[in-house]
Amino acid sequence: MKPSLITTHPFGEAYAKSLGVAPWRGHLPGPKVEEWRFTPLRNLAKIAFAPAAINVSVDIIPRTVPVIQGAARLVLVNGAYRKDLSDANLGKGIELSHGKVPAKEGSSLIALNAAYAPASLALHVTGAVKKIIHIISIGAAEVAPAALHPRITITAETSSSVTLVESHVGLPGETYFSNPVASITVGEGASVRRYVSVDEDNEAFHLATSLVKVAGDGNYEAFHLGLGGALTRQEVRVALTGENANVRLNGAYALNGTSHHDITTVIDHLLPNCTSSQVFKGVVDGESHGVYQGRIHVARDAQKTDARQLHKALFLSRGPAIDCKPELEIYADDVQCAHGAATGEIDPNHLFYLAARGIDPETARDLLVEGFLADAVNEISDEAVRAVFGAAIGQWLKLRQARPS
Amino acid sequence: MALLEIKNLHASVAGKEILKGITLKLQPGEVHAIMGPNGTGKSTLSNVIAGREGYEVTKGEVYLDGQDVLAMAADERARAGIFLAFQYPVEIPGVTTSAFLKTALNAKRRAEGKPEIDAMDFLKLVKAKTAALGMPYDMIKRALNVGFSGGEKKRAEVLQMTMLEPRVAILDETDSGLDIDALKIVSEGVNSLRSPDRAFLVITHYQRLLYYIVHDHVHVLANGRVVASGGKELALELEAEGYAKYLDAAA
Ligand SMILES: Nc1ncnc2c1ncn2[C@@H]1O[C@H](COP(=O)(O)OP(=O)(O)O)[C@@H](O)[C@H]1O
Ligand SMILES: [Mg+2]
Repeated sequence: MKPSLITTHPFGEAYAKSLGVAPWRGHLPGPKVEEWRFTPLRNLAKIAFAPAAINVSVDIIPRTVPVIQGAARLVLVNGAYRKDLSDANLGKGIELSHGKVPAKEGSSLIALNAAYAPASLALHVTGAVKKIIHIISIGAAEVAPAALHPRITITAETSSSVTLVESHVGLPGETYFSNPVASITVGEGASVRRYVSVDEDNEAFHLATSLVKVAGDGNYEAFHLGLGGALTRQEVRVALTGENANVRLNGAYALNGTSHHDITTVIDHLLPNCTSSQVFKGVVDGESHGVYQGRIHVARDAQKTDARQLHKALFLSRGPAIDCKPELEIYADDVQCAHGAATGEIDPNHLFYLAARGIDPETARDLLVEGFLADAVNEISDEAVRAVFGAAIGQWLKLRQARPS
Repeated sequence: MALLEIKNLHASVAGKEILKGITLKLQPGEVHAIMGPNGTGKSTLSNVIAGREGYEVTKGEVYLDGQDVLAMAADERARAGIFLAFQYPVEIPGVTTSAFLKTALNAKRRAEGKPEIDAMDFLKLVKAKTAALGMPYDMIKRALNVGFSGGEKKRAEVLQMTMLEPRVAILDETDSGLDIDALKIVSEGVNSLRSPDRAFLVITHYQRLLYYIVHDHVHVLANGRVVASGGKELALELEAEGYAKYLDAAA
């Protein structure tokens, strides 16, 4: 199918020319592009974003960024690395460099990122890295709407291991559009854990693409938390390119107001004996909209594949909408695939049980919501990060309560 | 003044009258047993007192220490000191027993104007209470009631009761599904809480619980009414002769 495009894209081609880069070839995907059917970009396309300034003055890390004890900190402001805000003492087995952004290939968003990303934050992992590496991407639009294009490249060599946390946040000011791209290569027998938190400004847009390749015996574990932003999408594409490779992709989101959050996953099982599992859970309130699309592709050679996928959403009111689209494309015959999807509301019997123990309805609801999301959060194998992400959800619930509805 | 006073209570479910005029008075320090065949309204009575939705009180009053119970929301009733040990405790996935207990305990403390319990004190308290009930301390890390056996669920109810120290505890067939050892432990939990300013309403289908729980009064509930009241001898009589005579009378 030919993609339909929104042709009036917000980045003047003249500007691209003035930068000396080739004009951005692609455009934003329109509503007729199947993968974007549930996430229309009309509102994004209406705003004239200027490329975000690299030299904005930011001297503190926003308070919404969780503190991870003992972690190294790498800070990007508007996509550019900020040494002054970072603590790049990474320890052994890992090296940081600021690489060239690879040629423009892939989707139009990746091409857009490639055209504008200042540099790629590249981490080369060769050993068992002890410290958690915390990457913080800050969007700062100041006086005019701005677009930023963070680029992250992780290369984990054979048998190496690393744990990464990514926090995507913004500063108050004009609206911004963050278009991060992460390329992750998990080498043979290597292990990469990546925990992403998207807690953007209420007005902000965030369309992230993660491209992951996992070699034989490699393990990739990721968690994608969605807590804030007007329109956010976390698209994760994973190719299992060697035998006995495993991917665990999990996530949770909590939405209110009119915010829109989209999780799109594509898992490519290419060779035998690989496993993939996904647990995504979301709570929706207000007039929000949650999307989960999960495609599992099992190639003909990928015998003994074990692929599982689960998405569950909890409605806190009648206003929100959920779109869930699981897709299984299975070409091998000896495989185990399971997918489940469910939506529901809080069980009044649960509420009564808690009330009968003296717990007021608001607190009871928060406890049940946290309990609902816990299934997903408990998939985070790093204990410290699990606690931090759990606390972020608790905080979201508190703030939600503080707002008059 | 009675600690719990139920006056001519009538209640319906889905338009059908289940409670047809119940009057009971629990003085501080007393333990009352309610016995009766299945389907006569014992759980309905406990749910109505605890404030579950879906029950319509058509007539009558309930007072806790003179406070109008029926005017309070379920959570307010609990904070005022009414505790219901459920006949069928619900499983709540994802909510750990420990988070739940702490939240419940703090809700009560807040209502009493006390600060939240310190994390260490909380653990100490849970350790002592679980040990007294012969429960593994680790169970508080599990999701509330999820995958608990029938007996574990009932013990968990009693654990909550001993932690929350209510003024009036209603135990709805807490004995069903328990083996003799568990029954003894649960009964000890109740007996240990007995105090001059607390009252119990122990609902049971069988006499055997009453061997272990020291009780003062026995009431027979049949067809939504209290059809007989007496002392310990009434429970023994019921065991020997069954409910038949009361069912005929109530029909
Ligand atoms: N939620 C309900 N919906 C419909 N009927 C109910 C409900 N709860 C109780 N009943 C009916 O009320 C009667 C009394 O039930 P219950 O109070 O559970 O009795 P007991 O606890 O004495 O066994 C039964 O006929 C039962 O079917
Ligand atoms: Mg019953």
